[in-house]
Amino acid sequence: MPALSFTHRLPTLLLGVLLLAAGSAAAAELEATDAKLRLLPGDLPGAGYFTLHNNGDAPVALTGAASEAFDKVMLHVSTEEDGMADMHAVDAVEVAPDDAFTFAPRGHHLMFMQRSADLAVGDSVAVELEFQHRDPLSVTFDVVSPAER
Amino acid sequence: MLKRLLFGLAALAVLITVAGCEEAREWRTADISDRLPPLDFTLTDENGRTVDESDYAGKPALVFFGYTHCPDVCPVTLARLASVIRQLDAEERDQVQVLFVSVDPARDTPEVLEAYTDAFHPRFVGLTGSKEQIDAVTNRYRVHYSYGDKDADGDYAVTHSSAVMAFGRDGEPAFLTRDTDSDAALIDDLEALLK
Repeated sequence: MPALSFTHRLPTLLLGVLLLAAGSAAAAELEATDAKLRLLPGDLPGAGYFTLHNNGDAPVALTGAASEAFDKVMLHVSTEEDGMADMHAVDAVEVAPDDAFTFAPRGHHLMFMQRSADLAVGDSVAVELEFQHRDPLSVTFDVVSPAER
Repeated sequence: MLKRLLFGLAALAVLITVAGCEEAREWRTADISDRLPPLDFTLTDENGRTVDESDYAGKPALVFFGYTHCPDVCPVTLARLASVIRQLDAEERDQVQVLFVSVDPARDTPEVLEAYTDAFHPRFVGLTGSKEQIDAVTNRYRVHYSYGDKDADGDYAVTHSSAVMAFGRDGEPAFLTRDTDSDAALIDDLEALLK
């Protein structure tokens, strides 16, 4: 009986292996690593940081982000001039082929606003990164303390 | 003989340098002792209480101006201050006060400020006040700030000076540090301020 059961499963297994291979090929073309969300208390906006790797052969343009845990997510950049800190919205961030772009403190960041879900440090949050002429990329952000450096 | 004389001269030079340091220490961060006035303000603390500089006298204070709807720059600075203070000796640690002064009183109530500063360190103090009270402090310390345009949801950014000013136990101005200064430089200056 076990032998028959294995034969039955074989096509399913093969299909699974094929799907996995396809999935990893797509992820390798465009991927986000070190994704973190610095959670601030209450309804205060928190910043998201990550590195976007473009391993494909065409440029990509990140145009926005969305998450079920926040009603509003914006692309932002912090700037500093003559000792004055400023922050403003960004329309898009382009990443050339075989290049990477890092959203990091005091620079580009995702601004997570209007929290609609309970979150605590240690949780993770699903975020869709949105691109021009391309399907969104699902990324899991680790929720971390803002006191982390 | 000549060697001894040279050695003696070198030792004398070292002594003079050390004595000079004790009289007026050169901060590794920026010196503000001659540039800014002593600590002086009337503001509202996290408990809604009216406070002034005398409430914080006796311990050095690090003063930083910002706003809580600031998810990137202000948290980086507050996290840096928390981390540097943790690197001090245990008895020195409790001697440093961090005063976060909001320049956005419309959104920063005492409750919001308390939750925000506690996310970095339970003893960090958030201060707010009327626009007039805040302007009296920012004018005194030549701190600039301005509000950005509101978006469709009424959200706005606030441009603000990003430096942290340090005052001694009697409120005397000491040094100013930016996030580009090394932790080691800030720790050295804080330890000197605590002596």
